[in-house]
Amino acid sequence: MRYWLAALVLLTATVAQSQLPLRDFGVTWSRGAPKVSFSAKDLADERVRNELSSGLRKRLVVTVGSHLKGSNWRMAVRQFGCDVTLDLWDDDYLVRIGNHSERLKTLDDVLNRCLAVEGLFAGEPGSYDPQKGREMYFVVKAEFNPISKKQCSELIRPTSGGDPIGPITINIVRRRICRSERTIEFRSKYLKVPE
Amino acid sequence: MSRFERKILFAIGLSVFLTLGGSIFLARGALREVYRVGVNERFGAELVHGVEARRGQLMALRSGSEQAADAVEWAVEAELAKRRHTSKLDALLQDLLGRYAMVQGIRVEDAAGREVASVAREADPSSAVMRTTTRDREVETGGGKLRIAVEVAVPEVYFERLQEAGEVADVYSRLQRQSASVSDVYVWAFGLMAFLVIVVAFLIGAVVSRRVTRRVTALAEASRQVGAGDLTVTLPTGAKDEVTELTQAFNDMVSDLHDSRTRIEYLQRISAWQDFARRLAHEIKNPLTPIQLAAQELDDTYDGENEAYRKKLKHARAIIEEEVATLRRLVGEFSAFAKLPRADLTPSDLCDLSHSIQDSVPAILEDVGQGTPAPVEVRVSCATEPIYVRMDPMMLKRGVDNLLRNAIQAVHEKHPSGGGRVLVRAYGTRTAGFIEVRDNGPGVPKEDWDRVFDPYYTSKAEGTGLGLAIVKKVVLEHGGEVRLDRAPEGGARFSIELPLMET
Repeated sequence: MRYWLAALVLLTATVAQSQLPLRDFGVTWSRGAPKVSFSAKDLADERVRNELSSGLRKRLVVTVGSHLKGSNWRMAVRQFGCDVTLDLWDDDYLVRIGNHSERLKTLDDVLNRCLAVEGLFAGEPGSYDPQKGREMYFVVKAEFNPISKKQCSELIRPTSGGDPIGPITINIVRRRICRSERTIEFRSKYLKVPE
Repeated sequence: MSRFERKILFAIGLSVFLTLGGSIFLARGALREVYRVGVNERFGAELVHGVEARRGQLMALRSGSEQAADAVEWAVEAELAKRRHTSKLDALLQDLLGRYAMVQGIRVEDAAGREVASVAREADPSSAVMRTTTRDREVETGGGKLRIAVEVAVPEVYFERLQEAGEVADVYSRLQRQSASVSDVYVWAFGLMAFLVIVVAFLIGAVVSRRVTRRVTALAEASRQVGAGDLTVTLPTGAKDEVTELTQAFNDMVSDLHDSRTRIEYLQRISAWQDFARRLAHEIKNPLTPIQLAAQELDDTYDGENEAYRKKLKHARAIIEEEVATLRRLVGEFSAFAKLPRADLTPSDLCDLSHSIQDSVPAILEDVGQGTPAPVEVRVSCATEPIYVRMDPMMLKRGVDNLLRNAIQAVHEKHPSGGGRVLVRAYGTRTAGFIEVRDNGPGVPKEDWDRVFDPYYTSKAEGTGLGLAIVKKVVLEHGGEVRLDRAPEGGARFSIELPLMET
């Protein structure tokens, strides 16, 4: 019975992923790993643009996963995020990617920098070696302002006491509260892993 | 699943469902109320206002810095318009630096980038971390354009506070949006827990009720077996509960039934043997006297000269008289066995019985020793406290005398020149009184232990096999038991158990 349930869940997830909208991807292979190019700038709708120009620190996160055709199993994943703050003092945008910061003049510059991806390595060659010749596709998830797990844990802490279901419910509540304010997902066409 | 199990499970399910369902209903209401009070729009709006206020403060500071830069520009422009040269600008810039706290430094350059004048505020190591920026202005003079770079600064903490306020407002706004679903999460978690509790309660209930019903079913099946006449049924007893007590009572009842039936069967068998003994005694006893008289007459009336024939006659007469005597003894014993009366039970002390047994020891010793006391040590003992049982002292003494006689005979045969010991002991426990006769004789082989009480079973050459049967009959009529096993001394041990009188 439980195997049937697991199979059903897997099938549902796979079908759901295959129903994602298609989008053009630029894919080149370098030293056995794919470099992908795509744009997720449509994540920034009017509300997101206003939020990014509020002077408060906001986060843009892009996650690229590669999957075999007909499978939900992720071969490789790559994620990067931008912390964007409009500097009210200098009237430009401070963009921090990892430990690196830069200043950009306009919001479009910010979106180009954070959501228009050019030549991003999506995983290591070792992830693709065993799948040579097989069909695969990329799935992109772009999120506006998710709260990181660490920050979320710091913000919403379980109350002390012997409540047995408290930690469980806190985790569920955290997950709901800290999820992104806007998310878009799309996938590439099927392509073959080079021999 | 039996009806009993279904009822138990239904009761468990209903009680758990009502209890947890009620608590979920109450908890849901309480949670919604708590969220309605704690997470409301007014707090959220105030937090947003706080963010706006901090942003407005920063914008005001920025505007202030722009105005300071404009003021510097205008002052420099006015100074140049009045004096037409730049030599006295340092004093003006110093004055402006003192006038605008936000301004950290002013630098005036000509069109070629050469410094014309500059002032800078001395750095204060104790002051807060500042964020600085330069506001550029241009002044038109007769000799060309001058660039005025006004360095302004505000404490970094204003920016940090804006971000902190923004984060709090953001989280609160998310919490506000999710407040309805948060209470739903709790309700779902409670519901899941209730479901798990119901499942666990059902499992436990099923296991427990199945254990009970299985034992009750076994009891019912055993009762049917008993009803069909099988009194060897016993049921295992496990945990200490009411069903175990019922099972134990059932086992005791079956055991009592078994004992009673065995006792009745034995007494019926003895009764049949008594009837047989009575007829046998009657049939044998009648012809004995004519046989003896005829033999005597044949011997007495022979007046012939044949000495050899006379001798044969006398020899035959002696044999006939001896065998008739033996038959008379047997007939006497059979007759006594047949006429064995029923026990007349009266409350008596077992110790009194042991004293009367003590009195008969010398006669038995002399009888066994055929005129002289047999060299056997006989000890009779009793507890210091009286042991009251319902008994027929005469009948029971007769039985114990039989046991004592058998024991003395056995040890005398094994130890004819002394060393034989027989112990008669009366003692009581909380439920029964005991008389024990044990010896250091040859004992009874274990395979014969079940048969020794059967009538006419004997291992002695001249025994009738009635002594132990009489003992058992007497004891059974007392509601007791007689058992045989091996004595600690190595011989036989006969134990008579009699129920204590209820006080």
